[in-house]
Amino acid sequence: MFVDFFFSLRKVGIPVSPTSFLRLHKAMSMGLINSLEDFYTAARAILVKSERYFDLYDQIFAHVFRGVELKEPTEIELGEVARALLEEWLRDPQGLSEALGLNQQELSKLSPEELLQYFLDRLKEQTEAHHGGSKWIGTGGTSPVGHSGYHPGGMRVGGVSRNRSAVKVALDRRYKDYSQEGPLTPSQMGEALKRLRHMVPSGPKDQVNVEETIYQTMKNAGEIEIVFDRSLRDRLKVILAIDNGGWSMEPYIDLVQTLFNYARAQFKDLKTFFFHNTIYDYLWEDPPRRHKPFPVDQLVKLDPQTRLVIVGDASMAPYELMATDGSIHVEERSGRPSIERLKFIAETFRHAVWLNPVSANEWNYTATIRYIREIFPMFELTLDGLEAAVTHLMRKDN
Amino acid sequence: MGADTQRRIFTGGSKYVLDEELAKIVNISMALEMPLLLKGEPGTGKTMLAHAIAESLHMPLIILNVKSSMKLVDALYQYDTLTRLNDSRFGDSKRDVSNIEEYIRMGKIGQAFVSDERVVLLIDEIDKADTDFQDDMLDVLDQMSFDIIEIDKTIKAKHRPVVVITSNAKKDLSDPFLGRCNFHHIAFPDQEMMSKIVRVHFPEIEKELLESAVTTFYRLREIRNIEKKPATRELINWIRALQADPDFRLRDLQKGQVPYLGVLFKKSPDYSVAQAAVGRFRI
Repeated sequence: MFVDFFFSLRKVGIPVSPTSFLRLHKAMSMGLINSLEDFYTAARAILVKSERYFDLYDQIFAHVFRGVELKEPTEIELGEVARALLEEWLRDPQGLSEALGLNQQELSKLSPEELLQYFLDRLKEQTEAHHGGSKWIGTGGTSPVGHSGYHPGGMRVGGVSRNRSAVKVALDRRYKDYSQEGPLTPSQMGEALKRLRHMVPSGPKDQVNVEETIYQTMKNAGEIEIVFDRSLRDRLKVILAIDNGGWSMEPYIDLVQTLFNYARAQFKDLKTFFFHNTIYDYLWEDPPRRHKPFPVDQLVKLDPQTRLVIVGDASMAPYELMATDGSIHVEERSGRPSIERLKFIAETFRHAVWLNPVSANEWNYTATIRYIREIFPMFELTLDGLEAAVTHLMRKDN
Repeated sequence: MGADTQRRIFTGGSKYVLDEELAKIVNISMALEMPLLLKGEPGTGKTMLAHAIAESLHMPLIILNVKSSMKLVDALYQYDTLTRLNDSRFGDSKRDVSNIEEYIRMGKIGQAFVSDERVVLLIDEIDKADTDFQDDMLDVLDQMSFDIIEIDKTIKAKHRPVVVITSNAKKDLSDPFLGRCNFHHIAFPDQEMMSKIVRVHFPEIEKELLESAVTTFYRLREIRNIEKKPATRELINWIRALQADPDFRLRDLQKGQVPYLGVLFKKSPDYSVAQAAVGRFRI
């Protein structure tokens, strides 16, 4: 049983379903898996459903099957796994007992406490037997059965065998780049762009779909039924405001600008503004923030339906945000604190988001991030954050 | 019929270098009778894999090219209402107008089900369709049967086809969908592998040209802020263009010049970004 492998995968956040775990057992019982290499490949294909978890999978695999930095699980950890097992059991007793080869009838008689103890005991057996435990699927992959021929029509390998152990392959961490964590990188550009493509409003259903109309009419035995499609004429206006001052934002400016420029075709209008740290009385249309000021007051003249995307780390000295003359640029001082201006902007554009390259678990350590979050919904500048931001921007008015 | 023509075209030459890991996954998916979902960048040979499977197992290949506007029923069967209307009005065909079955034509999934031998069913670029399509389709593939509503008939698969599904998007498909598939992600080939692939397409190519072209290609892929990076197909076309040009000198390439950049970068913003970047190339 590879319960601890299964739960290690779940614990690091790979969504492995019990059903797929069952399937892996089925594959093993069919004699499809004859070596640790086979197990590595098969378990990944069956359990892990996205390449962004491949890297995690590799790490866990190396962990469990070679004992890289593997610590003996403590009592507390075992307790957690046992509790997870209990939860699973309560949800789907049959599935779990089948997957783990337990006797459902017998277990049903136990109280939750007894069950917990039972799982705990089982798990302890598991860990004690662990080092020998992996043997039954093969001894490091020298199995002579190899990869081909179990199936009359089985595929045969044309390429050259790599002849490397699965653990070594796992340790290579070939899929590191696909992991979805961390701030946006240029290599994720195409993907990020796809998220932005969702920024398409649904216009009224006012275009006749001729083919569908004919089909439905025919289906109705000639009774005419006209089918309408949505028209997408009504495209969005987008304002992008980027904090381009300071080294902390440097890596992201190009990226974000390129991103939105590529997406430009689907917007009716895309304006890009710049600011430093936070917004006072002016936004700037030119990156050096010198020649083309745009008064913030003028924003009210723009369509209130415009989607505003602010990109910045929102990290600065608190007085820059709160003080009446907070700007570090003398010429920008106007007597109104920036936080008031931000509130004004948020009221002007109801669809606004703040994208922050700082990772979300650090937001609470910076006072100004907390203040700004109260004004604008803030999202991480990651693929997932971008997706959430787009969803937020596309919310229906209410 | 479509299947036959495709078969004839693609069983021609073995142009696919299959790696061991992938072969295992294909075998396991076949044994578990589960569809295999393949993801990866364009140009990593997802589609070619299905051809390779069909070829090596000597099965016909049926390809369903998913389009965004497609409905599941299109993939199953079509009820040709217009022909029937036409026949009923003019009555000059041999078909029996009162028999609806004569106006039902099988779609690609339907063909795979009614085929007399086991086939490989490739469902290409599933991510183009909406989630409903994807989930409904897996229901059909799970049960290996579907109903033709118009004539109230259930079509059952004679042989369970080997199902290969490809997706370009890194965006995840729905959970129920993923739950029913095995999954593999094909990474973009490394430089060594790419040289092998190019050699399969150009057996006569000079070693020096191959090396410089592939090196340049990988450098170009590293240019930042490109929306669509050039893939295998672009590389092969590019090499073809280089070979066709009588004025092309290998030395230019080694000096950092890149002729026919447009073959590699097909989007105009990408092209200008790449052009600017190539200007800075020095070897």
